[in-house]
Amino acid sequence: MLRRMVLSAAAAAAPCLRNAALLGPGALQATRIFHTGQPSLAPVPPLPEYGGKVRLGLIPEEFFQFLYPKTGVTGPYVLGTGLILYSLSKEIYVITAETFSAISTIGLLIYVVKKYGASIGEFADKLSEQKIAQLEEVKQASIQQIQDAIDTEKSQQALVQKRHYLFDVQRNNIAMALELTYRERLHRVYREVKNRLDYHISVQNMMRRKEQEHMINWVEKHVVQSISAQQEKETIAKCIADLKLLAKKAQSQPVL
Amino acid sequence: MNENLFASFAAPSMMGLPIVVLIVMFPSILFPTPSRLINNRLISIQQWLIQLTSKQMLAIHNQKGRTWALMLMSLILFIGSTNLLGLLPHSFTPTTQLSMNLGMAIPLWAGTVITGLRYKTKASLAHFLPQGTPLPLIPMLVVIETISLFIQPMALAVRLTANITAGHLLIHLIGGATLALINISATTAFITFIILILLTILEFAVALIQAYVFTLLVSLYLHDNT
Repeated sequence: MLRRMVLSAAAAAAPCLRNAALLGPGALQATRIFHTGQPSLAPVPPLPEYGGKVRLGLIPEEFFQFLYPKTGVTGPYVLGTGLILYSLSKEIYVITAETFSAISTIGLLIYVVKKYGASIGEFADKLSEQKIAQLEEVKQASIQQIQDAIDTEKSQQALVQKRHYLFDVQRNNIAMALELTYRERLHRVYREVKNRLDYHISVQNMMRRKEQEHMINWVEKHVVQSISAQQEKETIAKCIADLKLLAKKAQSQPVL
Repeated sequence: MNENLFASFAAPSMMGLPIVVLIVMFPSILFPTPSRLINNRLISIQQWLIQLTSKQMLAIHNQKGRTWALMLMSLILFIGSTNLLGLLPHSFTPTTQLSMNLGMAIPLWAGTVITGLRYKTKASLAHFLPQGTPLPLIPMLVVIETISLFIQPMALAVRLTANITAGHLLIHLIGGATLALINISATTAFITFIILILLTILEFAVALIQAYVFTLLVSLYLHDNT
């Protein structure tokens, strides 16, 4: 507290020291140190899994070990028998009706425990196993789910890497389609031009043929007109004389 | 030690101090609280048994009746454990005392009746008259049903007391008979001892059954009234 007063007085005296005064309480607490030792609760030591060893279901093994150096193996048994016989003989423990009911009850209990004890223990262990297995199953299912998600993600990433193949194929397809259209159109142009040129050629041919035919007809007409009647008779007589000569030649030749 | 038949039923006191309170509180030590996810064998088996019993017992109740779950389960656990512990030699069974059984039966029964009268007044009053009774019989039947209603807590308490007390008495008597017959004829004593063993088996069953019957009847009264 005195320190705080000193600091606030210093702050009042010099304004630049006001920050130090604000830190005053904190500075006071900082001189005390907390939590020096180890935290005492963690880690918790593990519990023993099985109970201590007992003989006759009642007496711990340590008692027998305790008596062993002095009285050997039979020591505790002799002690127990002696105590029982002493209490019976001195009537410290009186045999009454209750003794027989005790014998029957305890005998029944020991019989049931010996016969069914292990199986009941196993049943209890099975209950715990089931509980743990259920929770483990949930954990495993969750891990499996996440693993599947990771695998799916990885395969998706791999697919993304290979996406460029798809784009290449598409690009090639488009290029081929463009090329095809271009060539088709080129061919069409060629055909149209050829059609027109063919038309002109056939027109020319037709004109020439018509002219030829016209000329031939004109020449024939004039030639036929120029043949007089006299010339026609002479020509026919010569043809008949030639034919007769040929016939004679043909008759003299052997028939082949 | 025990001189007469009444000694084992007297309120136990050690050096003048009544320790019956300690004896009544003792069975609660035998039901440890489950503190971890996986417990030891005792707690696992107890948990499993309590789950089994509570599921079976509370199946017939509606939402309102199931608020009594803790009460019914602690009732059956207390009566069952007290009865079973009473079978050990030289032990005192609190449920042999009519005072304690009345103290358990009357408040529980009164609770069910008052719940019924408060929330379903007409329906719970209608229980006094069974369906289909001919008209002249009605006044007499209402009186009979009222008497049977008011005898329910008495029946609960006396049933439990009588059963457990009778069982303990029989064990004591037949034990005494065995003791007396040993000097006379060993064979008869042996036969009597066999009878004693059979009786002990019966008493174990009776201990559990009586607990169950008590709780079941309380739950039935509850079912009528919720």
